Amino acid sequence: MMEKMIFGRYVPAESVIHRMDPRSKLLIVFLFVCVVFIANNFWTYTLLAIYTFGMVGFSTISPRFLYAGLKPVLWLVIFTLILHVFFTKEGELILDLGLIKIYEEGLRQGIFISLRFFLLILMTSLLTLTTTPIEITDGLENLLNPLKKIKFPVHELALMMSISLRFIPTLMQETDKIMKAQIARGVEFSSGPIKERVQAVVPLLIPLFISSFKRAEELAIAMEARGYRGGEGRTKYRQLSWTSRDTVMIIVLALMSVLLFLLRD
Amino acid sequence: MKQKQTLFIVEVAVFTALAFLLDLLSGFLFSRIWPQGGSVSIAMVPIFLMSYRWGIKGGMVTGLLLGLLQFVLGFSQIYHPIQGIVDYLVAFALVGLAGVFASQIKKGLQNSQKFKWIFLVFMGVLLGSALRYLAHVYSGVVFFGEFAPAGQPVVLYSFVYNGTYMLPSAIISGIVVILVMAAAPKRMVQ
Repeated sequence: MMEKMIFGRYVPAESVIHRMDPRSKLLIVFLFVCVVFIANNFWTYTLLAIYTFGMVGFSTISPRFLYAGLKPVLWLVIFTLILHVFFTKEGELILDLGLIKIYEEGLRQGIFISLRFFLLILMTSLLTLTTTPIEITDGLENLLNPLKKIKFPVHELALMMSISLRFIPTLMQETDKIMKAQIARGVEFSSGPIKERVQAVVPLLIPLFISSFKRAEELAIAMEARGYRGGEGRTKYRQLSWTSRDTVMIIVLALMSVLLFLLRD
Repeated sequence: MKQKQTLFIVEVAVFTALAFLLDLLSGFLFSRIWPQGGSVSIAMVPIFLMSYRWGIKGGMVTGLLLGLLQFVLGFSQIYHPIQGIVDYLVAFALVGLAGVFASQIKKGLQNSQKFKWIFLVFMGVLLGSALRYLAHVYSGVVFFGEFAPAGQPVVLYSFVYNGTYMLPSAIISGIVVILVMAAAPKRMVQ
């Protein structure tokens, strides 16, 4: 669990998608989230589905991992479908079961909208399944660079993100340690009535907060001692490289968007 | 002044990590009742602590980073551009506005006026939670408006759905914030 957390939902592999520059992946996902809403008929949705499943195929991520990420939202997709099928009363009546009447338009809308929902989640989870959190952070920092002109602290935010990511496993270990110490004293975290469980949380949380304050202070002193002076003139250990692969992927998405525009009603 | 800047950066970063962790931990401790999106969570506690310690800026940056962290780690659910921005950037950043009471709370702590600071902390928690609630309600309206059939009372849906987890989260967070601040008052006024 602990080692896993540093990488979030990232699944390592050697695919085309994995090796893309995080900047192009971020751009593609952002554009995709906007472009999805253009689709409004059979052909446009088919095109979107082909594109999304194509990307999933290229990523060589096993359906098992995809399913694990999608599970919590899947019932919402199904709920959307059901809501539309039962509540939209337009078009021809295709099924009449007395109380339940299913109309053509309802079925069509239901399938389209839940498909749109599903494709959106698929694409956004594909980004985090194929890109490490630190890569995404670097990509975001680079893409947001122009905001420096309006005094938006892009560098500081990216640094904070890296520190946060670095500290998640450390704090997890800390939590584990404190929890074990309290369990050794007879505290029960996962059984008993709610009131007792809430009370058990207090001797866990307070040491955790205090030690976080201490850790932060120590790290700040260490950074000062090593001469950290802010963003100006800092060099990077991890370099991003934009290749022709990234350009091609962006062009493919752009072409698909044009096609969507042409095919929509 | 310069040294404070580094401490600010590091402390906010560490507390963002803590917020993320507490979010995961709440699931384990309070056993999730609500299957998706929001659940009863004490993830807001570090945001409140930072907003009382560093003011509005500290709280808002912690909130913004928490949203970004969830996105970067793949724990975010984005179904609409506006919903994504509001749910993950605006909502948590708004929690940081609890920091409007920061200077008065510090004064209360220094003069050990127990009643005063506890009251103000609770007001801040209420303010931050209410603003976050409104942000989620708004994004819910956008979401339901896009995905639910026409003619549904989307605003009502959103108010009820988001209320089911926001109210308990706000109350539990408020209690934890007060307990932590009472345990380490020096850290807060430093």
